[in-house]
Amino acid sequence: MLEWKPLPSEVVAELRDAVGPENISQEPAILDSYAWQPAVNLAKEPWIPRPAAVVLPGTTEEVQAVVRACNRHKVKYKAHSTGWAAWGGPGVEGVLQIDLRRMNRIVEIDEKNMLAVVEPYVCCSQLQAEAMKRGLNCHIIGAGPNTSQLASVTSAWGYGWSGIYTGFGGRNPLGVEWVLPDGELLRLGTPGSGAGWFCGDGPGPSLRGVMRGWGGTQGGLGVFTKCGVKLYAWPNGPAQPRVQGVLSDATTQDVPATHKVFWLFSPSYEAFADLAYEIGNAEIGYIHCKGAVGAMFALLAPRAMRKLLASPPIRAILKAFQHMTLFVIAAHTEGERTYQEKVLRKIVAETGGFFLDTSLLPFHGSFWWGLHRSIYPAMAFRPGGAFITSMGSSAEYDCCVRQAELGEKIKRKYIDNGTFFDDMADCTWGGIYEGTSNWGHLEEIGMFDRRDAATEKGRFEYLHATTRATIDRSLGFGLSSLEHKMYLLHGPIMHDYHRWQARVKDAFDPNNASDGSHYIPPLDELEREIAAYVPPQLPDFEDGGEP
Amino acid sequence: MSLQELKRDMEGCSRCSNCKWTPHLQIKSWRFAKTCPSVDRYNFHAYSGGGKLNMANSILDGRSELTDAVAEVVYRCQLCGACQVACQAYRDDIDLADVLLELRATCVQEGFVLPEHLDMIESMKRQDNTLGMLKADRGGWAEGLDLPDINRQRVDVLFHAGCRYAYDPDLQETARTAAGILQGSGAEIGIAGKDEACCGGRAFEIGYQGEMRRYAEDMAGRVKASGCQVLVTPCSDCYYTFKYLYPKNGLDLGVPVLHTTEVVSAGIRDGRIRPRGRVPMKVTYHDPCHLGRRGEVYKPWAGADKLLRPVSFKQTGRLGVFEPPREILRAVPGVELVEMERIREYSWCCGAGGGVLEAEPAFASWTAADRIQEAEATGAQALVTACPWCERVFRDAVAGNRGGLQVFDVMELLNLSLQGG
Repeated sequence: MLEWKPLPSEVVAELRDAVGPENISQEPAILDSYAWQPAVNLAKEPWIPRPAAVVLPGTTEEVQAVVRACNRHKVKYKAHSTGWAAWGGPGVEGVLQIDLRRMNRIVEIDEKNMLAVVEPYVCCSQLQAEAMKRGLNCHIIGAGPNTSQLASVTSAWGYGWSGIYTGFGGRNPLGVEWVLPDGELLRLGTPGSGAGWFCGDGPGPSLRGVMRGWGGTQGGLGVFTKCGVKLYAWPNGPAQPRVQGVLSDATTQDVPATHKVFWLFSPSYEAFADLAYEIGNAEIGYIHCKGAVGAMFALLAPRAMRKLLASPPIRAILKAFQHMTLFVIAAHTEGERTYQEKVLRKIVAETGGFFLDTSLLPFHGSFWWGLHRSIYPAMAFRPGGAFITSMGSSAEYDCCVRQAELGEKIKRKYIDNGTFFDDMADCTWGGIYEGTSNWGHLEEIGMFDRRDAATEKGRFEYLHATTRATIDRSLGFGLSSLEHKMYLLHGPIMHDYHRWQARVKDAFDPNNASDGSHYIPPLDELEREIAAYVPPQLPDFEDGGEP
Repeated sequence: MSLQELKRDMEGCSRCSNCKWTPHLQIKSWRFAKTCPSVDRYNFHAYSGGGKLNMANSILDGRSELTDAVAEVVYRCQLCGACQVACQAYRDDIDLADVLLELRATCVQEGFVLPEHLDMIESMKRQDNTLGMLKADRGGWAEGLDLPDINRQRVDVLFHAGCRYAYDPDLQETARTAAGILQGSGAEIGIAGKDEACCGGRAFEIGYQGEMRRYAEDMAGRVKASGCQVLVTPCSDCYYTFKYLYPKNGLDLGVPVLHTTEVVSAGIRDGRIRPRGRVPMKVTYHDPCHLGRRGEVYKPWAGADKLLRPVSFKQTGRLGVFEPPREILRAVPGVELVEMERIREYSWCCGAGGGVLEAEPAFASWTAADRIQEAEATGAQALVTACPWCERVFRDAVAGNRGGLQVFDVMELLNLSLQGG
């Protein structure tokens, strides 16, 4: 039996009073179901520290009561919504897990003002389904439609297929209801002045930078209990597509005539970047994303991929199609679709590429719906059961493409040494955001079998290698930095942001009750970490090979 | 099989929570997006399919122990298999439903048993049925029907009614109707009468795996003695047991197994059964878990690394019996079939399975009520199904329902038409 740190009985009694006896558990096996977190977890074991207890609050008031009890008794707590990845659970022993599953309502959909108000356990596909009935759509981060809409906009960093139209996660929160680390309730933006949920920045307090900063606090600074999120047009889209099948077998005939899906192929990375710039400048498209031939085959047919890539000629042919872009038009009218398609054809020709109109392919409907529902990232589990991501700092798109090139080069080594599934080092995800800004990201994903202990060393090295590459080449703040305590590498070259975060933590969380293990510790603790930190000594990263 | 043999499946859990949701391409609303009654009702992650994998893994790793509280989580599950369908939409290497079955077996081996389940096992041992009824009364449902007894006469088709149809007075008429329709179509069907026994599937599901073998051997003996070419059952649970559990455990009945709806829909297609009378009714069809996703034929695969298992060997649930009951309904003049949001392999469970109806009747009713609401949302006047366990729990759930939703078996509705509407 695992030795662990249960909560004192008087704390349990208070929590029981707060949420009701059926909504608290201290049963070790039940708690261990919360401790299994293989994702975003560099430790050898997928088990994270077992929570001291788990509670299921059903209202904001119950969350406040739980948080206040924790503050009174010096107990750390950590809240999660849908609960994927280690950042949703305790980072240390003795933490109370707050599972927000019972807070699962769509409070409101305001069609006229194109916004929804959601509680933490509304998943993205639920909100999208309801929005589409009203001719609207929402942003779904790449982690997939199973993720919490609220958490993806308040607490984490994420970009979804439709980023060119809907921005990334951090662009999407409006008014926010926030149980601060000490239990006080704060409503950010318009709800703070009783003016509805339509704006996150006032009238009323605007603390977006403190609330989520760039990458979110991963639940390390209190609990978000309601959130307004932006909705977008779903141009001429069906209110409820009629779909047969559940994934790879899915079919639908409901693709509107004003929607199109294209695969664009460019002759080089440079031309691939130029294509993106021109698309952004032309302000066309609903989805713009790097298509990855290697990843596509790996996800859709992982066993076939293992065999195909054993053939050098087939590998060479697939590699020739590497610089691929997925592009979707979702137009309100036939005229708009024709215009966008004309512009696209011209851009593709001018950048030396060619394209495939997938409406000519048998799986067109399935692919169209899979993209809009953002289901394909979930398939990244297929080849090996797990994946990690790297590079991917948000920047001008040329910088993103440079990261893709480097990521490919570095990952090659870790494919060759058996760490990652062989996807031809072509599993880059990302695109441009917000049209003409030509700003975006490209992250390099590695798929692997976590059950194979031999992959552990390689995974660790790869994440550090890609992080070092972004630092050495001044490529920005990559997603590898979302790994545990990567701020120790990044902070010193980025204005000591980690010390500022720690000061925010100190100010908002005087009792250090909100478990900041995946965010930032209090300043004094951080300074001790900084003093003790010894960067890992690893080979020459850019080479992906020898020191 | 044992829990230990499934350790790799457990360690593959990525904690994505997709096991809690209807496969996302099929989510059509906020209201009916959930797929697992267990975690939807009790909320702790441990109640989900993935959560149970994590708990089992914890126990195998020696981190925690099986306790009454853990057993409660394990038994508050209908074993409906929806979590496996959702999981396997995205994963090739996890057989979630097998872990749930082995957890039950482990509970029994360790002495964590439920009194209601013990009653069922006692009843099976003494009277060969799960319902605590007398074996001598088993053939009573067929009284007055001119059905050959296989103890006296060899037949082409052996009709196995199953425990619920044989004894539930509210449902016996459905079995009689089904047998009558088959007979009317020209099939030479026979029954075992009082010598029919439980298939043993329910014993396997509630963790008493060894008990099933005796019933399987008994069943095989009756099949052989009858000389039948095909075994037909109107019971979804029995169908699942014959199609999946028996072959998975190396038990072979030696003849094809069909559900009544498969035989009857074929009879309608080739003109032997002709529904003519109008039954003007808007209906929706509930896919029984054990006829649908869990009724998929067992697909043996002997490899060690499931990442290398061809997709055709996954138990995705896609090959269950979905179309035959719908074909029957579409063939009835006047019937308008409207679909609920969660159908086919991603159907919501009725609530009765896995020993839940017996041990946790309130949870069974809660689950059924969710389905009733989904049926009502279609505007249907009737909820039609093809399983006596589903029909039982739905009938009870609508008994106090002001909405007026009726509950039918497919055969009952077809018979209305055959009788002239």
